[in-house]
Amino acid sequence: AMAGGLEPHLEALRRELRASDPAVLSVLLALLAVAVTLLIWRFVQGRRSSRKAVLLLGLCDSGKTLLFARLLTGKYRDTQTSITDSSAVYRVSNDKSANVTLIDLPGHESLRLQFLERFKAAARAIVFVVDSVAFQREVKDVAEFLYQVLVDSTVLKNAPALLIACNKQDVTMAKSAKLIQQQLEKELNTLRVTHSAAPTSLDGSATGGPAHLGKKGKDFDFSQLPMKVEFVECSARGSKGEEGDADFEGLEKWLAKIA
Amino acid sequence: ERGGNNSFTHEALTLKYKLDNQFELVFVVGFQKILTLTYVDKLIDDVHKEFRDKYRNEFQQRGTLGLLNGTFDFKDDFLRLLREAEESSKTRAPTVMKTFEQSLKSQKTVKCMIETRGEKPKEKVKNKKNKGSKKEGAEVVAAPGKAPAGEKPLSAEKEELSKDEILQRNREEFFKRHMKAGERSSKSPKAEAQKEKGKKPRVWDLGNSNAKVLDYSNSATNGSAEAPPGEEFDPEIALGDRNREPGRLYDLEYESDDEVEEEKVLQNPAKPSVKKGGLGGMFGMLKGLVGSKSLTREDMDPVLEKMKDHLIAKNVAAEIAVQLCESVAKKLEGKVMGTFTTVTSTVKQALQEALVQILQPQRRVDVLRDVMDAQRHRRPYVVTFCGVNGVGKSTNLAKISFWLIENGFSVLIAACDTFRAGAVEQLRTHTRRLNALHPPENHGGRTMVQLYEKGYGKDAAGIAMEAISYARNQGFDVVLVDTAGRMQDNAPLMTALAKLIAVNAPDLVLFVGEALVGNEAVDQLVKFNKALADHSMAQTPRLIDGIVLTKFDTIDDKVGAAISMTYITSKPIVFVGTGQTYCDLRSLNAKAVVAALMKA
Repeated sequence: AMAGGLEPHLEALRRELRASDPAVLSVLLALLAVAVTLLIWRFVQGRRSSRKAVLLLGLCDSGKTLLFARLLTGKYRDTQTSITDSSAVYRVSNDKSANVTLIDLPGHESLRLQFLERFKAAARAIVFVVDSVAFQREVKDVAEFLYQVLVDSTVLKNAPALLIACNKQDVTMAKSAKLIQQQLEKELNTLRVTHSAAPTSLDGSATGGPAHLGKKGKDFDFSQLPMKVEFVECSARGSKGEEGDADFEGLEKWLAKIA
Repeated sequence: ERGGNNSFTHEALTLKYKLDNQFELVFVVGFQKILTLTYVDKLIDDVHKEFRDKYRNEFQQRGTLGLLNGTFDFKDDFLRLLREAEESSKTRAPTVMKTFEQSLKSQKTVKCMIETRGEKPKEKVKNKKNKGSKKEGAEVVAAPGKAPAGEKPLSAEKEELSKDEILQRNREEFFKRHMKAGERSSKSPKAEAQKEKGKKPRVWDLGNSNAKVLDYSNSATNGSAEAPPGEEFDPEIALGDRNREPGRLYDLEYESDDEVEEEKVLQNPAKPSVKKGGLGGMFGMLKGLVGSKSLTREDMDPVLEKMKDHLIAKNVAAEIAVQLCESVAKKLEGKVMGTFTTVTSTVKQALQEALVQILQPQRRVDVLRDVMDAQRHRRPYVVTFCGVNGVGKSTNLAKISFWLIENGFSVLIAACDTFRAGAVEQLRTHTRRLNALHPPENHGGRTMVQLYEKGYGKDAAGIAMEAISYARNQGFDVVLVDTAGRMQDNAPLMTALAKLIAVNAPDLVLFVGEALVGNEAVDQLVKFNKALADHSMAQTPRLIDGIVLTKFDTIDDKVGAAISMTYITSKPIVFVGTGQTYCDLRSLNAKAVVAALMKA
């Protein structure tokens, strides 16, 4: 019945085209060409920029910019607090020609959300850098930021792989990845209760987002998240000081897996 | 978002900085605060230019990897520039002291120096004329001949005279004095006449510059003389202006007239410049649409003006709107725009980002989380509410206690408003209602809300302290302290508030402000913070930790008060009150507020 309905329309169209003068025809053809070009262009764009970015997030002074520099150049650099993002293409070490775009975002509280907003859609993976030495003191802030990243709607939709890099392991007082994982789970457990209990936002949407992290009723666990979460220990400075190499094979392996 | 001024002081150092938005560089110069170095700005500009030119290629081609890998060996260049700048500030030869002959004193005779009342103005006029070095001029024309010529420049309304005219007159004076001492008396009436003309009253350009027009007192008195009889006899007028007193209202109208006229004067000179920019702006717009154009101050100024007016129309305080636009201008100056972006859209986007950044707090205040912490340490969490009169402290206190009870925390309300009539009764009614909504049976037998009050007239700080220890003994989770409203200018009351906060060390000091406030918000917050800082004994004084924005339902989209308050204090807006029932408590959604703010 659909084809039957279509036929008379096609006939009418053909008759119309034959009857009309060439000007209208050429205009129609031009429009068609433009439409097709646009479609192809959109398709190609989509393919090309399909989320090739790896974001480096974390609190201030957790070591993101140094990790970034080490991964790209292998050399140690004195870094300052970042006030803007830096991005570069990182070639994975083994012979796969895969590459990812590493994006180093500032960790300062007044800037971090703004830059996350800008780059979250392009993220294929997120590296959340944690300062293992100051963790005991900063656990609430770390969890707060991690929570904000995890409940973001774009992040939940795309579910990029998440790696929690416990940095600064070269210092003796650094906490282990296991301890950090346990503490974060406990803190996030509390946070999801307090955030969902907060007064609703001005325009009606709940502040915690419609998402409730993990499963209700059970204690929060990183395995309940829709994305893959891994914990890895690393040290951007490296155990041999500034001259030596950085100590982050786990990170490199994970990046190779992602790319 | 505070990029308006470009210097920063920290302890003994002053830092001056310059942004290069095109290549995203920041140049910072630090020097000791006590030194006032005049060449700093010039040095920064020179360094900026040299650095940019030298490494321009590296930035443009190699991007981030270039930055990471490149060596920027700038030290020699910098030292050279520093030396040049220091030398240039020293090249001005020290001024040589004048010899006695050159000074003014030698030119005055003794008679001149005797000051009597009447002659004082004459002497001043003479000194003015004798300014500048004396010269022996050959062209001395007879005094009366030159005098009228000399009078002409003075008769013009300008008070400054050109150098040539001064020299001419100096020459005449010098020779006249040395040759004819008697001439001086004839000079004096002329001097007085000249002086009067020279010191003509400033005439404003508005219409007829008549003293009569400038004097509004007559019309006011006339009006007020007419109004009272009119009020008594005409009931409609009385109904229309029920609460006014005749004299006061007229004063208000008078002030606004003045302001309107001033605004007109200000706008008139501004208009021609806008018109001139229109034609040039059209081509600039086309060029901007296509190529990659870098933003200049002149491009951004009209847009920023419009945005500033828009913000002020949305109830953002005027000085904050100005500072915001300044900081956006600094951030965008020199930036290269992408294709198909207009100046307007770039500026709007930058402004939007700045606004969102202002509204999103540096550290999110999560009250429930902190209450849980305090619970674990077995001490009550103390929240103090302060603010000016009538903003909604007690109402929002009740709303917040309702919210806390819903989340299972028990609340003690401390009635530290011992001044306003009915304050304690109001809180008692709220307590009763809340207990009716959440009876003890639902919560394991403990009363969720209790009121701690000691009547009227007592010391608020003492009541607060007793309330906190009572809460600790009885195991209450939260103590909400309600204080009396007070104006920020009222010094004794501000001292009392500061004492309450300093003595009791609450966990959270919330400033309650209404969304209807306009420019007052700036003044209120600044003075409240200042009072708290001044009267605190501790090293780090307790300042306002958060803001409660009330009466949000009364403004449609004129949400500028939120921006003003967060800009001044840099503290987050913790709660938003949107009504008078217990459920009308919201949290701030930065994006929604900014969207309402930027909406045309």
